[in-house]
Amino acid sequence: MITFEGLEENFKFIVLDVEAQASTTRQFLMEPERSLYEKIVSRDDYIDNLKTIIENKCFTTINSDKTLDQDQLNKIRAVQIITVNLERIADFLVNVVRQMGFLEDQAFIHKFDWQVTFDIIEQCLAQILPAIERGDMAKALSICKSEYDIDRLYKEAFDAIMKELSTGRQAQNLVTVLFIFRYFERIGDSLLNVGEAIIFSIIGERIKIEQFDALKRTLMMSGFGDSLAGIDFKGIWGTRSGCRIGKVERHLPKSAAKDRQSSIYKEGALEKIVKERENIARWQSLFPGLVSEIFGYNEDEAEGKGSILVEFLSGCTLDEVVLSAAEDVLGNALFVLEQTVRHTWGSTMVAAPVKTDYIGQLRSRSESVRQVHPQFWRPGLTLGSAAARSSEQLLTQCQALETTLPAPFSVFTHGDFNINNIVYNHETQQVHYIDLYRSRDYDYLQDVSTFLVSNFRTPVFDGVRERIDKVIGQFYLFAATFAAEHGDATFEARLAFALARSFYTSTRFELHYKFAREMYHRSMYLLETIAAHGGGNWEAFVLPKDILYL
Amino acid sequence: MPEEKFVFDSLQDAKTIGEFIEALKLGFENGRIALSSGEEEILLTPKGLLNFSVKAKKKNDESKITLRIAWKDRGDGISCAPGTPIRIEN
Repeated sequence: MITFEGLEENFKFIVLDVEAQASTTRQFLMEPERSLYEKIVSRDDYIDNLKTIIENKCFTTINSDKTLDQDQLNKIRAVQIITVNLERIADFLVNVVRQMGFLEDQAFIHKFDWQVTFDIIEQCLAQILPAIERGDMAKALSICKSEYDIDRLYKEAFDAIMKELSTGRQAQNLVTVLFIFRYFERIGDSLLNVGEAIIFSIIGERIKIEQFDALKRTLMMSGFGDSLAGIDFKGIWGTRSGCRIGKVERHLPKSAAKDRQSSIYKEGALEKIVKERENIARWQSLFPGLVSEIFGYNEDEAEGKGSILVEFLSGCTLDEVVLSAAEDVLGNALFVLEQTVRHTWGSTMVAAPVKTDYIGQLRSRSESVRQVHPQFWRPGLTLGSAAARSSEQLLTQCQALETTLPAPFSVFTHGDFNINNIVYNHETQQVHYIDLYRSRDYDYLQDVSTFLVSNFRTPVFDGVRERIDKVIGQFYLFAATFAAEHGDATFEARLAFALARSFYTSTRFELHYKFAREMYHRSMYLLETIAAHGGGNWEAFVLPKDILYL
Repeated sequence: MPEEKFVFDSLQDAKTIGEFIEALKLGFENGRIALSSGEEEILLTPKGLLNFSVKAKKKNDESKITLRIAWKDRGDGISCAPGTPIRIEN
């Protein structure tokens, strides 16, 4: 499997130690003894340490070895997730053993059939290494499915315990046994995470087992048939919107490859999926071909989840084009993008003022930014007569100022106009929009700033940065020209608000501290500039263009 | 005495930097530089002789200038109080 130095060995050890921990726990449940108890507690310390070592190795390897391919990265991620869950299982086992001390009669546990549950747990633990070493999907799935069995057994035990409790006798013993079964149930949850991580290491996409069901239903409704056997489910994108996305393809003979019908399967919170579906329909009616067709749709109101199957648009996302396409292809892509954007903005424009809420958007995400970077919320500074405002002061002031600065018109915006939400097809010379659940009639500068900052935040710092700067410069010029053509005199001022928002909120995706700090500083600087300008005369506001380049 | 210390980090334009340097200049002239950030407040009272170093660096497109001004606050005459006999013993 993995050939990273020492990691493979450490990982094997932690699996074997947790297996041993389970077996000692079983012995203890059969015949509680002080020496076994001590053995279990001290082995738990050892497992904790081993977990830390493995985690450190995983992160160090990912961070320092730039030659790792995607497959190797996936394996390291899987190892890390499995390790965390194994350590948790070991903790649960210690808890089980501790609970035994609360039984007035330690044989009381045998009134309930805990051994069946324990068999399942031990079987699963024993399957981890072979599943991961041989990429054995069946074993991985069987680990996942065990959670269902353990849950069922927990429910049975729970009902039986409740029934006995109602007699009013043996309350302490019964509650203790209930706790023990509850820990078994939680071990089941961790085993499910382990199984899912193994599947991830095999197929390279995190998939929740329950999603297989949603996928099946959606496929059935869209005429793909109900068998997953003939279908490739291949994850292609991670997403930050909280939805899971995968590419679905029918297995067809090679000769038929051209007619292959591909689609994108996406599952997420019902609200988002409903919104996405409505927006796709509106985009379709306005600009046929610009967005994917919808093949299937499924709502699961009970679970609050929805899934949607849409046409797979072939081409490259624009970030791939920016980073790796030939110069002329990039030039073409930008040209086609600008034509498309100009057309969509122009034809959906409604000439009535729109209130913007860029500062509100920034505020609503500030908590998640500060979870990642607690220092990105500065106090003020005074140095004699000179001063710099605190983040809070800046936001309060700018939020008040923003109410005096409506956009002169609205357009139908994409809503999340990231470069990786734009697909460029070089053969057909078309661009397509994806990930549309945030589309709405709004200030077009929301899309402009998202686009500009999604380029800026691309973490490349060598020669390719010049290409990024070029894209940023060209798109800014395009947007400024559009503004001038449509008499948008407050373009630069509103863009400052929108950019402050995009820079700040982008930092939560960037763990590279220095780079994130560049964006945070830019955001605060823009707010300072706005605050210094004050209200009124927004037409005269000058956006410091340097801010757009690293 | 506990250490008083804070760091403020930001992006500024040349005009604002000028304002900060101007404020510093006044502070040195008056022997009093008051700084505060958030809850932290520091009052510096430079006087007499100060250590001054300038570091400048230019590499590719990155430039940096560091001014370092450091001094010891001496209470009047305390550290070199006269009259304390010096004894040398074998």
